[in-house]
Order: sequence, then C-alpha cells, then structure tokens
Amino acid sequence: MKRSTMYLRMITASLARRKSRMLVALLAVTVGSTILAGLVMVYYDMPRQMGEQFLAYGANMIFVPSSDSDGMTSEEIEQAALNIEGDVEGVISYCYESATINDAPVVVAGCDLNATLETSPYWQIEGALPQAKGEILVGLNQADFFSLHVGDKVTVSYIPSDVKAAIEGENLNGEVEGKVQKEFTVSGLLDTGSTEEDYFFISEEDMAALTGETLTYDVTELRVNADSDALAASVERIQQAVPGVTPQLVKRITESQTTVLSKLSALVLLVTIITLALTMICVATTMTAVVTERRREIGLRKALGASDKSIMLEFMGEGLMLGLIGGLLGSLLGFGFAYLVSTNVFNSTITFLPALVPVTVFVALAVTALACIMPVRNATKVDPALVLKGE
Amino acid sequence: MFFRMIKGVLLRQKGKMFMIAFTIALGASLATAMLSVMFDVGDKVNQELKTYGANITVVAKEASVVDSLYEVDGASSIPTSYLKEADVGNVKKIFWAFNIVDFAPFIETHVNVGGKDAIMVGSWFNHHLSLDTGEELDAGVISMRSWWTIEDGRWLDEGQKGDADKVMLGTTLAQELGVSAGDTVKIACGKKSGEYEVVGIYNAGSDEDSEIFAPLDLVQDLSKTDGLITSIEVSAITTPDNELSRQAAKDPAKLTVAEYETWYCTAYVSSICYQLQEAIPDGVAKAVRQVAESEGAILDKTQLLMVLITILALIGSALGISNLITASVMERSQEIGLLKAIGAHDRAISALLLAEMIIVAILGGAVGFGVGYGFAQIIGYTVFSSSINLSPMVIPLVVTLVILVTLAGSIPAIRTVLRLDPAEVLHGR
Repeated sequence: MKRSTMYLRMITASLARRKSRMLVALLAVTVGSTILAGLVMVYYDMPRQMGEQFLAYGANMIFVPSSDSDGMTSEEIEQAALNIEGDVEGVISYCYESATINDAPVVVAGCDLNATLETSPYWQIEGALPQAKGEILVGLNQADFFSLHVGDKVTVSYIPSDVKAAIEGENLNGEVEGKVQKEFTVSGLLDTGSTEEDYFFISEEDMAALTGETLTYDVTELRVNADSDALAASVERIQQAVPGVTPQLVKRITESQTTVLSKLSALVLLVTIITLALTMICVATTMTAVVTERRREIGLRKALGASDKSIMLEFMGEGLMLGLIGGLLGSLLGFGFAYLVSTNVFNSTITFLPALVPVTVFVALAVTALACIMPVRNATKVDPALVLKGE
Repeated sequence: MFFRMIKGVLLRQKGKMFMIAFTIALGASLATAMLSVMFDVGDKVNQELKTYGANITVVAKEASVVDSLYEVDGASSIPTSYLKEADVGNVKKIFWAFNIVDFAPFIETHVNVGGKDAIMVGSWFNHHLSLDTGEELDAGVISMRSWWTIEDGRWLDEGQKGDADKVMLGTTLAQELGVSAGDTVKIACGKKSGEYEVVGIYNAGSDEDSEIFAPLDLVQDLSKTDGLITSIEVSAITTPDNELSRQAAKDPAKLTVAEYETWYCTAYVSSICYQLQEAIPDGVAKAVRQVAESEGAILDKTQLLMVLITILALIGSALGISNLITASVMERSQEIGLLKAIGAHDRAISALLLAEMIIVAILGGAVGFGVGYGFAQIIGYTVFSSSINLSPMVIPLVVTLVILVTLAGSIPAIRTVLRLDPAEVLHGR
C-alpha cells in the first residue's frame, strides 16, 4: 500500500470511528464558515440592495431645457438618458402649461402618469391614477380650492400661445376666440406635502389634444441607481453630448444618500468583523478541546515510535479535512442565509459569489490548522510515559 | 461534600474551565453587542435620515396656492397669509417635543437684487435655543440643509455680531450677478432697499440656487412683516406609518377613543402634524411625503436586516458554546466512569456536572456581558458617533440565552456519558 493511501485511510478512519466528537468539531467549523460566508455576502450586496430602497426618495437627477431652448423633445431626452452610467430605474417627463378652470389660473402637467410609480413612489393618491382618456389627477390644495372630489367633472380651458399673443393686453377671461375647452373626470387626489399639490396632472395624449401641438417637456425627473461619482460623470457626458438638455443632480437626494448609505455599510461591516472574530475564536476553542482530549492517543503513538512530525501531519490532516468539509458546507449555508436576508428584507434575489467559496474554505482551513497546532505540539512535547499514566 | 467537589473541579481543572468560561464569555459578548445594537439601530438610523431635511412643514392656511401659481406665471406676488413668529416656540411644547430634533421658521419675499427679480428667504442659521426643559439646541438652515455645499466664503454665523445684516447667495444667482463672497449687493423690496455684504455662496442643487438667504429679522424688516413668517420646517423622529395612522390622518374624529389614544401617543408623522396644528394657530402641518414615507421604508429594512444578522450571530454563539460544553463533558467520561464505579447515582453525577457548568456559565456570561456592552459602544461611536443605549430587554435575554445554551449543551452529553458502561470507560475503550 502506498504511503499516501495509508495516510488518507488513517485520517478517514479516525474521523469515522470517533463520530460524535468529530461531528461536534465539524459543526463548529460549519457554523463559523456559515457566518463568514453569509455575512460577507450580505455586506457585499448591501450597498446595491439598500440603494434600491433609497429609490423611494424619488428622482436624483433632473433634466431641464438649456437656456436657449423652449423645451426638450422626447428624442433629446432619450439620447441624454443613453449617456447615463448606471441603471436608470425610472424616467418621467413633465410638460407644464398654464390653463384656467372657472377663470382661475391653474397649472396643468402632462406626463406619463404610470411612470410616477417608479420616480415618485411616495405619492399618496386618494382614488386612482388616471388610466382612461379624459381623466385628471388633482393636487390636494387645488382640490380644496375648487372643492373637487373623486368622480367630479372639471372643465379645463387653454388658450394657445399664438391666440394669447394676438390679443395681448385684453381680458383673457370669458369668451375668447380660439380657446380650447375640455372636460375631465377627477380620478384621484394627490397628497405629497409639497408643491405637486398645487398642480393638475393629465396624460400626455390629453395634453397634446388640449394644446394641439407635439409635446415639448419642461422637466424630466430620473431615478438612477448609481453612486455619486458615476452620477457626476453622467452629468458631464450629457452636457457634452446633448446640447439641448441641461442635467442637474438633486443634491438633497444624492448627498444624503451617500451619507446614510456609508453609515449603514460601516455598521454592517463592523458587525461582521466583530461577529466573525468572536465566532472564529469559538471555533478554535472547540477544535482545541477536541484535540486536547486525545493526549493519551498521542502518547501511545510516541511510545510506539512515531515521530513528532508524523503525528503533527496526521492531526493536521484530520483538521484540514474538517476545515474543507465545514468550509464547503458553510459556503452553501451562508449563501442560504444571504438569500433569506435578501428575499425577506429587500424582496430581491442575491447573486452567488463564487469567489467567496475558496475564501471561506481557506479561512476555515487556517482556523482549524491553527487550533490543532497548539494542543498537538503541547502533547508531543510531553514524555509519553507521563501522558499514558494519565498524569 | 457536593460543594467541595465542585470547588475541587473548578480549582484543579483551571485551564479547562477557563477555556469554557472564555468561550461562554465570547458567545455572551457577541449576543449582548448584537442585541444592544439591534434594539437601538432604529433610533440611530432615524437620526441619520435627518440629513434629508424636514419631514413636516407648517404653512398658514391657503398660503401656498397663491404663491406657487404666480411663480409659474412669472409674475411676482407676496404671500397673503402668515404665521406668527411668536408661535414658533410652541413647536417644542407639543406632546412629542422630544422627537423634534430640528426646526426653523422661514419668511419668503420677492425682491429685486442688482436689477434681477429673485426670492429672498429669511431664516435661522444656527439659532441657539435654551428651552424650558433645559434642552440646548442649535437649530436652523445649517443643520436642516446639510446637503448644501459652500462654494465660496462661509456660512452666516448668528453668534457673530456683524452677521445680522449680511446675506448668502445661491450659485446660479451669484453667477448671473457676477458676485463673489465679500462683495456687496443692492437689494430692493418695494420702496425699501439697502446694501448688503455677501458672506457666502452656496450650492443647493435645487431651485434654492437662485435665491437669497438672510437672517430672519433682516428679511422681515425689508418686507415690513415684523413678527410674521410664511412657514416652519420641522424635522421629527417618527414611527413608520401603519394602517391606524393612515386612517387617522384622514379624519382623527372617526377613531374610537382607544384608537385615538394609541395614535395620539405614538410618534406617527400624522399625530405629530395634528399636535403641531393644535399648537400653532392658523397653521396647517403637512407631512413631506417624499421624506416621511421613504424614512419609514429605510428604517423598516435596516431593522429587519439587523434582526436577521443578530439571529445568525445568536445561533452561531449558541452553537459555539453548546459545542464546546458537549466536547468537554464527553472528555470527562473516564472521571464519570470512576464515579459510577464507586457507586455514585446518575442523578448525583448529573447534578454535579450541571452545577459546575452553570457556575462557569454565570462567570463567563457576566464577563461577556461587560465586554459585549463595550463592543456595542465601539460600534455606536465608530458608526454613529454616539453611545448605544442599553435596552432593559438585553439583560434577561442574554441570561436566558446563556443558561439555556449551557443546559442544551451539557444535558445530551451527560446522558450519553452516563449510558456508557463504567468498566469499558475505565478500560479506555
């Protein structure tokens, strides 16, 4: 029989014969590796996952028309959006027009209302978003002012700009030739706690029908999932590539996200480090206890003529075998934990990090090896006669 | 005799017992640290989220409609309804006063600066407040607009004497006027006008970049609105909204008495708004949904994340402790065999082993608790620069955990060892 086969056999036999104790040791290593793999995976994925949560704060980048243009066309917006680094999670373009209701001036915004679900998830709507043609969403302040409720009808009057220019200075209220009137049904009331409450919102088609022109947009809000450096780079690229569009970062959102996110990352990092350090020491003490127990065996082997080196090799072999199995099991269980965290906390899946498996196995091997060396060396140093006598 | 035996074991097997105590201490410290952080993380993250600015604004009834409409039309108008500056202090007198971490009054007016129309805002910058409760607070724009960066010059400092008649300009406006810090600008409001020094240029990344910020008194003086303000922004620490609070926000009168009590005495954003409206005559307090809703979402997620990590850490430390105890009980099979051989009852042996383990566990647990509390403070100071409060829940939880885990680790091991035949064990087989 070859030396190496014999060596392997000794190790496996030793593990198999001393089942319960080896299970204890294996459990310790597995738990340690699970915590390592799980926490590192969660820490690694957290900025991305948490970043998505910050989307709830709404747009972090806006496009406005450059000073020499009246509005942005949808082609310009699309082209500008192509120059953004990072995932664009939501885009919404608003076209604001002044109109009148009951001869009182109001502001009507035309936009793709379903897109607000992504860019402004904080909007609270009593009723529903306009879905059919001829429906209108009313800001809470305006609803109070005109005493509008869900289901009410409201007539919006719009005076095209050329008509307005022609009758400059005259009274715009009452009967004006060229005035467009359209009746809308109130589908919902909008509660945001800020300026949106002062506007009326209608779909882009209705807006085009009202003004009789192709829409040009006054503001585009974008929600981009990227860090502040990437955002700043995007702004510069758009300025270069699309002259009609001036991109701006909403500093309140971008700056605050960076601050809060870095704190949260630091929290998870610190927690991970402390948990890992303590767990690894726990693993090491358990391994040490399991090995110390076998002083008599070591003494017997020495009495039979085994060299210190061969004893050390065998114990290390056993330890490393445990480390390998425990590390592999731990990587899998750790992934399970990370998966559990991301589905429960963030409602999204997590990608498996293959690079983490060798790292986990390596750490498990290193900890078990370190935990074995000390007690085995102590045992081999002692006179076999003393150990065997049980002193 | 029983105690003597235990004492003997503890003293003679010092090394081994020390190792067990050490492992228990590690486990207990991990549990203490994680539980303390978990219970306090909500408050801490809530504080951090205050960087997003106010989550409640109080305006005078129907003030906002008029102003916003005219702004879009390009004409200038001055808001018609005001709140009284004297009422601002009431913000800190409501039931949830302690949850209000920051607030500032604002007065807005349209002015002409160097030939351009602009909005001028008066507010506090670092207004020092000494409240009746003994609380000291620096409130104002500096802390409520934490995302602003100063491009040139410095912040206005209310503590500094000469700063009372100086102003700050937004970058867009400053560029248009070609003004930099240290220059003076001519500001006219109606018939009143004056020359003011610009101490700093700020970048806000919003419409505020084309506005002027100045001390409250200065703007009130210019616009002849002494003692009046247009709005109050309030930063409050709130509990995330739930079904009850949404229902209450619509109409508190529809709640039952018990529901109303619960709602009023919980720091929901809607109940704080309601109380602010009670405190400020003619004021309408509104939740800034963008901030209030998102805070709730992030807070919930962070807490859940910490709970899951804590559970993992607790399982880890529990298994670590019980593992070591199992290993060390099994190791003593010879000793137990000998005890059995000379006629000890199973019960006596179990009692002896359990008593030993519990004593070690209590010692280790106590040390671990202290160390763990230290770890929690390290986390608190490193991440949030403030101490972590020790929740009263942590102590019983850690004690129960340590005792349960010690019992769970030793009982199965003791049973296995007791089942062994003394003759075989002593033989060394």
